[in-house]
Amino acid sequence: MSLLATGALDGPERAAALAHAEACAACRTDLEAAQDVLALAGHDPVRDALPPLPVGALLARVQARIAETEAAARPGPPRWVKVLVPLAAAAAIAVVTLRRPSPEPRPVAPAAPRQATVAEDALRRLESSMARENAVRYLNDAQDVLVTVASAPLACDRKRARVDVGEEARRSRELLSRRALLVETDRAEMAGARPVLEDVSNMLREVAALDPCSRPEELLAIQRQMSRQRLLMKIDLMTWELQG
Amino acid sequence: MEASDRDLMARLASGDREALGPLMERHHVRVYRIALAYLRDRDEAQDAVQETFVKAYQGAARWDGSAEVAPWLARIAVNHAIDRYRRGRRRLKSETPLDAEEHGERIAAAAPSPERRAMDREAGERIAAALHGLPARQRAIVVLRLYEEMNLDEIARSLDMRLGTVKSSLHRALRRMRVALAGLRP
Repeated sequence: MSLLATGALDGPERAAALAHAEACAACRTDLEAAQDVLALAGHDPVRDALPPLPVGALLARVQARIAETEAAARPGPPRWVKVLVPLAAAAAIAVVTLRRPSPEPRPVAPAAPRQATVAEDALRRLESSMARENAVRYLNDAQDVLVTVASAPLACDRKRARVDVGEEARRSRELLSRRALLVETDRAEMAGARPVLEDVSNMLREVAALDPCSRPEELLAIQRQMSRQRLLMKIDLMTWELQG
Repeated sequence: MEASDRDLMARLASGDREALGPLMERHHVRVYRIALAYLRDRDEAQDAVQETFVKAYQGAARWDGSAEVAPWLARIAVNHAIDRYRRGRRRLKSETPLDAEEHGERIAAAAPSPERRAMDREAGERIAAALHGLPARQRAIVVLRLYEEMNLDEIARSLDMRLGTVKSSLHRALRRMRVALAGLRP
C-alpha cells in the first residue's frame, strides 16, 4: 500500500494493488496512513527552500574548487608514471652498470631486486587501499542494518506482538558472506580494525539468526548489547580512520 | 536560443568551464533541495551543491550522452549526501530542524498564512526526526521518491541497488515514518 500511495506503481501492479485495497479494509487504512505521510512531506519547508547563496557566488565557489583540484593534480605525474619512471630508471641503471667496463668486478645483482621492490610497493599500496575500501563499505552497510535494528521496530504483519526483522536478517546473512569474500582482516594494516570488524560480524550473526517475526525481547537483547559495546559509534570512528 | 543540457554537458566534457554557469542556473535549486531534504542542514546542503557541480564537471567526459542530466545530477547529489551523512553521522545527530521562518524572505511561492507556516514548520521538524531514524539508503530512497519524484527504476540505478530492494526499502521506510509521524495531521 505504501508503494501505491507514493505513486510508484503503474500498470498491472497498480491495478492489482487498487483492487486489493477495495476488498481489504485494513489495507485501505494502511493506504490512508501512507497518504498522510506523503501529504505531510508535501508541507515540508524544504520543498520551497532556496540556497542561501545566489547562483553567481555558488558558481564562483565551484570554479575555485575546480581550479584548486586541477592545480593540486598538476605538479605530480600520474600514479602509473610514478611507478613506471623509477622502474625504467632502475632498468637503465642496471643496463649501464652491466655494460660499463669495470676494473673490478662489481655486484650488479641489486638492480633486479630494486625493480621488484618498486613494483611490489605499488601493488601493496593498491591492495592496501582496496582492503580499506572494502572494509569501509562492509562497515557502512552493516551499520545501516544495525541502525534499523536499534531504532523502533516495526510490527510484524504475520504474527501479533512480534517485530519484523526479516529484511535485516537477510541482509545480515548477505553481509557476512560478503565479508568472508572481500574483507581481508589478516592484513597488517587491518590490525586496528579487526576488533570492530569482529564485533560487527558477531552482531550481524545474532541478527541473521533472528526469526523474521521475532519476539521484542530478542531484539531488545541485541539493542542492549549494541549499546553496551557502543558499536555504532565504534563503526563511525573506524570508517573515519580507514578512510584516512 | 538556450543551449540544451546535452550541449552544456558536451562543452563541459571538452573542458569548457563556462558551460557550468547556465547548467547551475538551471539545476542548482533542485540539487539544493535534494541535498537539504536529505541532510537537513543548510550549510551542508550548500556544500553538497558545490561538490555536485565539481563532480559533474570532472565526470562530464564519462557522462552517458543518452541519459537525462537532471537525474544524473540528482544521483551525484544524493550519493554525496549519503557519504556526508555517514561521515558526519555523529555530528548530524544534533541536527536542528529547518526553520521555515529563516527561509521566509527567500521562499519562492506566495507567502502562506501564519497558521500554515506554523504547521509546515512542525511538519518539517517531525519529518526531519522521522528521516533521522532511517538508515542512510532508506533515507535516500525516500528523498528521491517523495521530493525528486524519481521512479523506482531510476532510484535503483542512482543508488546501484536492485529494484526489489528499492521497493522493499521504500515500503519499510514509509512504515517507519508513519510510526514516527503518528498523531500529526496533514
